[in-house]
Amino acid sequence: MRLEIGNIMIKDIQFASKTEVKASTLYIDKDALISAVSGDDRLKSIDVELVRPGESVRITPVKDVVEPRVKVSGGGGIFPGFLSKVDTVGEGRTHVLKGAAVVTTGKIVGFQEGIVDMTGPGADYTPFSKTLNVVVIAEPKEGIKQHEHEEAVRMVGFKAAKYLGEAGRDVEPDSVDVYETKPIFESAQTYPNLPKVAYVYMLQTQGLLHDTYVYGVDAKKIIPTLLYPTEVMDGAVVSGNCVSACDKNPTYVHLNNPVIHDLYKLHGVEYNFVGVIITNENVYLADKERSSNWTAKLAEYLGLDGVIISEEGFGNPDTDLIMNCKKITAKGIKTVILTDEYAGRDGASQSLADSDPSGDACVTGGNANMTIVLPKLDRLIGHVEVVDVIAGGFDGSLRADGSIEVEIQAITGATSEVGFNKMTAKTY
Amino acid sequence: MIVITNNPKVRAYFNTCDVQFVDGNYEAVLIKTRDLVHQNYKLLTHPLSGSVKPNETPYKSIALEVSNALDVAGLLLIENAIEVYGKLQKDARTPNWTERILLDFMVIDFDLFKNAVVKAI
Repeated sequence: MRLEIGNIMIKDIQFASKTEVKASTLYIDKDALISAVSGDDRLKSIDVELVRPGESVRITPVKDVVEPRVKVSGGGGIFPGFLSKVDTVGEGRTHVLKGAAVVTTGKIVGFQEGIVDMTGPGADYTPFSKTLNVVVIAEPKEGIKQHEHEEAVRMVGFKAAKYLGEAGRDVEPDSVDVYETKPIFESAQTYPNLPKVAYVYMLQTQGLLHDTYVYGVDAKKIIPTLLYPTEVMDGAVVSGNCVSACDKNPTYVHLNNPVIHDLYKLHGVEYNFVGVIITNENVYLADKERSSNWTAKLAEYLGLDGVIISEEGFGNPDTDLIMNCKKITAKGIKTVILTDEYAGRDGASQSLADSDPSGDACVTGGNANMTIVLPKLDRLIGHVEVVDVIAGGFDGSLRADGSIEVEIQAITGATSEVGFNKMTAKTY
Repeated sequence: MIVITNNPKVRAYFNTCDVQFVDGNYEAVLIKTRDLVHQNYKLLTHPLSGSVKPNETPYKSIALEVSNALDVAGLLLIENAIEVYGKLQKDARTPNWTERILLDFMVIDFDLFKNAVVKAI
């Protein structure tokens, strides 16, 4: 499977009378965008604001971040199972409005979190302070249940990204990256002397505000299976979760997963990157046993020499991570695990809720309990009152002067467990 | 299946199961569960069921079943969960939430628990 990603560099975003990309600026017809994402009668209103890096703006609570993309050629369409049919994606050409992002905000539960500061100390902790953000504010009708509200806001984000992505369909990209993965036997024949490596991609799948979808399927209902890495780049995996915002993978991060991206860099040179094993993180312990049995079985079946395993979330996924690590290691396959830490504010406590000696190669995205003071910013988009009641916030988080003190777990993407940020921790 | 919970929504929904309602906090549910594991009950669901932290949500629901041997793996999970609870409470205690937010926490705990055990009931 071969996918060309055409990167159309976006350096500014502006409202205009027509949605188009011209000279690296994304012009947006606001009314047309709102019209394209409207129609869900569970929502009372939808508004759009534009936010640029360096502006004195705080967006909260951020639900999802989505990158505008469009399928130019090849089978299927973007976000299969949601906005497109379930045809297999990951082949042909996809254009990306690189540098632009759709950010959705909606207060689905009273303790919701997800802070994106576009300037100041908080901006250093979120990757989405560096993107040109089209913020979609969706307010629910009175009486809408949390599940319906979540689904409605999720779909608005996908629709907005699709609508904006269409503006790049006929634009000549600034650069084109090619990613190719061959069928397993062909790939093994092509690189007979290279170690075979795969990515075990753990998806959070526990319920309301904790879900992930694959080709439209609720991933808690899957058994582990194989994807070509390029399928992920076309939106085969999308986010339905946002609780504990620091280590959740927004849809943008699935589309740009750095593990997949970086594994391609030395594919065919130092190793043979054969594919992605997706698996879930369910609460029922027998599900955890079954899914980790299957990741280990698939790893063995593919004849792998090494895997990278990434976690998503806090608490019970630590158990999935360790089960995957132990069982795959027991097959004689080398493992590297990616996680983040809840080591207490002083960083001195046990970081994970589970551990095992087989997890001796571990990369961390940082300590989510670390606290930070975010100064008052000039403009707020969303609901600042939730800051007092979010994960990482606590009584008195929102101070009289408008500044807030929170643990960095409240900041979207701060301790990304797939490495979509700058933080880590080192042992000397 | 036995349900240990301090969440009224879980108690109401699982009224055909053996629900042992705990009139106490999150930690009390963990402790009750640990005691049952020591009495040879087998843990069916992970005690840290979601990303809502034990110093945020006051609600916790856990499923067990009768067994005839000590569930050693389950005992480790529940002991680790108690340790995580203590660690996070030390830094910031669970706030006194408003009724509206308590209801949201109930809904999340209920949804995660229902999704976990739907096959077991």
